[in-house]
Amino acid sequence: MKKIQTKGVKISSNKDYRDSIVDILKKMLQSKSVDAVLVPMRVPAKDSYAWILVKDEKLLTEADPAAPIMPIQGARALSSFSRKGQSMLKIAALMRPCEIRATIELSKLNQVNLENVTLISYDCPGALPMEDYLNDPEKGEKKFNDILKKLDFQNKSIKPVCKICDQFSLLPVSDLHFTLFHDQNNTMFLIANSNRGNLVLKEIGMEASHTVSAWANGIQEIKDKRAAQKKGRFTQIKKMVEGFNSLLATFSDCIGCHNCQSACPICYCRQCYFDSESVTSGTDLTMLKAKKRGSISLPQNRIMFQVGRMSHMSLSCVSCGLCTDACPVSIPVAEIFSYVAHNTQKQFSYSSGENKGEPIPLKTFKLEEVKGIQELVEDAEA
Amino acid sequence: MSTKIGIYICECGPNIADNINIDEVIERISSSEDYKNKQLIIKPYKLLCSNEGKEYLEKEIKDNELTHLVIAACSPRDHEITFINICKKTKLNPYLYKMVNIREQCAWMIPDKKKATEKAISYIKAAINRVLHQSVLIEKQLDSNPNVLVIGGGITGMETALSLASKQRRVYLVEKNSILGGNAQSFKNLLPRQENNTDLVAKKITAIQENENIEVFTDSKLENAVGFFGNFEVTVKSTKKDQTANEFVVGAIVLATGFALMPTEKLKKHAYGKDDNVYTALEIEQMMKAKGKIVLKSGKEPKSVGLIHCVGREDRGYCSRICCNYMLKIISYLKDQSDTILIKDFYKDLCLPHKYDQEYFDTMAKKKVDFIRISDITTKKTHITYTEVNGSKKEADLDMIILAPAMVPAEGTEELAELLNVPLHPTKFFQEAHSQLNPIGTSLEGIYIAGGCHGPQGISESVLQAKAVQGKIVTQLIPGEKIIPEVKVSEIIPDFCMGCQTCREVCCYGAITFDPERGICVVNEAICRGCGNCVGSCPSGAIRAKHFTTIQIHQEMKEAIS
Repeated sequence: MKKIQTKGVKISSNKDYRDSIVDILKKMLQSKSVDAVLVPMRVPAKDSYAWILVKDEKLLTEADPAAPIMPIQGARALSSFSRKGQSMLKIAALMRPCEIRATIELSKLNQVNLENVTLISYDCPGALPMEDYLNDPEKGEKKFNDILKKLDFQNKSIKPVCKICDQFSLLPVSDLHFTLFHDQNNTMFLIANSNRGNLVLKEIGMEASHTVSAWANGIQEIKDKRAAQKKGRFTQIKKMVEGFNSLLATFSDCIGCHNCQSACPICYCRQCYFDSESVTSGTDLTMLKAKKRGSISLPQNRIMFQVGRMSHMSLSCVSCGLCTDACPVSIPVAEIFSYVAHNTQKQFSYSSGENKGEPIPLKTFKLEEVKGIQELVEDAEA
Repeated sequence: MSTKIGIYICECGPNIADNINIDEVIERISSSEDYKNKQLIIKPYKLLCSNEGKEYLEKEIKDNELTHLVIAACSPRDHEITFINICKKTKLNPYLYKMVNIREQCAWMIPDKKKATEKAISYIKAAINRVLHQSVLIEKQLDSNPNVLVIGGGITGMETALSLASKQRRVYLVEKNSILGGNAQSFKNLLPRQENNTDLVAKKITAIQENENIEVFTDSKLENAVGFFGNFEVTVKSTKKDQTANEFVVGAIVLATGFALMPTEKLKKHAYGKDDNVYTALEIEQMMKAKGKIVLKSGKEPKSVGLIHCVGREDRGYCSRICCNYMLKIISYLKDQSDTILIKDFYKDLCLPHKYDQEYFDTMAKKKVDFIRISDITTKKTHITYTEVNGSKKEADLDMIILAPAMVPAEGTEELAELLNVPLHPTKFFQEAHSQLNPIGTSLEGIYIAGGCHGPQGISESVLQAKAVQGKIVTQLIPGEKIIPEVKVSEIIPDFCMGCQTCREVCCYGAITFDPERGICVVNEAICRGCGNCVGSCPSGAIRAKHFTTIQIHQEMKEAIS
């Protein structure tokens, strides 16, 4: 794997972290290092955020580089215009690490064209659950500002799936990275992590000269804590989905709205197979099933939808948690999918969104993988 | 027109009738509630594939105005096509017909008549369910170009070109070297009768030059090829400085790129330098042709020679088949040169596969040659250390050593395979479509392989393959006739496709292209063979195999396993 950079640029420490980031983005536009910036902005009603592609640097003042919530996955925003080819404009996209990882997965599925796109990540403390934020947006803003101020990466208010996220910082695939995690002196760094990143840095007249080992150690500490939490939570989740009966009980609340699939950045299909005519069985067949089984739950395929989605997208799942935000009946979909993804990805020695060059397991076939699965099946049977 | 399904059960003489209660089958199916809204005609017949049977079936389809047809008889491998042809004679679309195998799959394999009958009923019902969901497919006709591109101007390529060229069929012969003739032109004499080679190769080259229907491109290589059987657009480019490119259309491509000998510098067990008297068999042939005799670097004739078989066979993992024979030929060169020359022939196994070979070996064995069967051998320059099969270790110093290195595909074979999307065998020779049933075809229709690029073989087999390719092309690519491509192909539904191109990676035939404007993938129906790989791979379920749709399979399975 690519070695993570150990040097960074020290950024003005007196300002608010948001302003510091916006300053750098402005510099990128001024130096024509990029033509436009993709950032979240608070909507006029002040109760949500939207992705805006900003060309006019004056408008950047409105940008909020670290939004408290994730209404739309950034990878989706990128894919919406770059699916059919390379962007004419040079774009810098400032996104959460999970959004960048989803972007990488989509690029492997030819849904995002990364040509002319600079991916900028930042240390993400997590996001607030949509429901909590929408109940009282001002309170949510305050809470999130507090989290950022106190560098509280273990805050109880963040999304459950964020609490167990250990890929919240600089990624091997980031071009540039802002360290939000600063010390008592409010030191922030900008790290260039690729040739493209280095070029941008040069164009805005900055040089990476400070070692960032203190920051790296701090991040590692949080990673370790998060990993421990993840292990504990996965033990609980395992019980929720292991075996057909647990799975049935966990998803018995599902109303079949498929919001989770609409929100998911990896679910890139134009129409979900489970929304298509192929899965709807006719009257006769339904009645036949009811006759044979004695009873039948309607509408059908609610569990099949979940299991089908797991098999379709878990190898690329980035645990961004948008599915849970989208679920109207509060099923912990994200944590369940995160657990399943952890295991399916392990099976293929794959980590979603971590390596641009690594082919997606869905598109490759290796004989030894099949052997591995066979052993898994035999173990389960034994 | 209302649905009217004809179901005909063939007794196949006693084969089916003896072990399946056909009356019960008819009774149970016609009284089944599943088909109470459908019109069924269900009848037995003693032998449907007989001439009378075929006439009967044709009449039945016409008289009853059948809309769907189910034939319960033998394996589709035996007679599916027979009944398709009957459908074609009537107005019934052959894709509204389904064959059920109640002979091999029921009557022959289930001893219990009752159980066999049950299974036959369930299979026939499955076929009725399926056929009701089948759709009309219309065969297309495409214009075809009768011309042929032959790559490789060796003995195989020349033979192919000469066999195919005619007034109606132009042949383009591409050779990477500056002269035609390939490896064979280096041989002085030819096996098995030791006739002088100059005649054979030179005559063919002259014949090619005189044939106005053959166009030769020397110092050239295939630059690009796109299309399908009947219509390949190819570009042939000169490797000379001017790099002239010629573009033309051909209907078929023959790969006759030949072989090379395994590079001897890769051989760990046989270390020698440029000045040592160590040669490969091909170098000896070249020497014979140039000088008329075998001599040492000093110009003197050798007094002792060691011949080593199977050089590099362990690394390559296959026998090169012709080496034992040509080593015998080299023995005869040496013995003709000097009766007293000492010859030690080191072999592990002797491969003498042809009817002439044993006799030839016996003749050579009489000429005082030490044939030594060994288990291991290493050489350093002309010093030999070897282990005989009985375990005794020995050494020898000889004037000259002649190696028989493994035959390997000619340089550029891999690039050509990649360019044309033709699969390679693990040995890196081209992979034939089927080793017995289609040994000169490839997985791509219209691309054939012959000669040394197929695998190690001699001139006679290479010529045989050239003739086989000729036969294939002459019967399949008939000038002026249309080509009917496969109808049971896959199709991509544009509204579902997201252009992730996973299907392109699994397509063995290169039948799928990406349309950047629409951002979706498209199947070229003329190339697609309907294997269904893409259908299974599509994450969006956007690909459908015509005649193997989910609903058709589901309807059939539902009944077959109920």
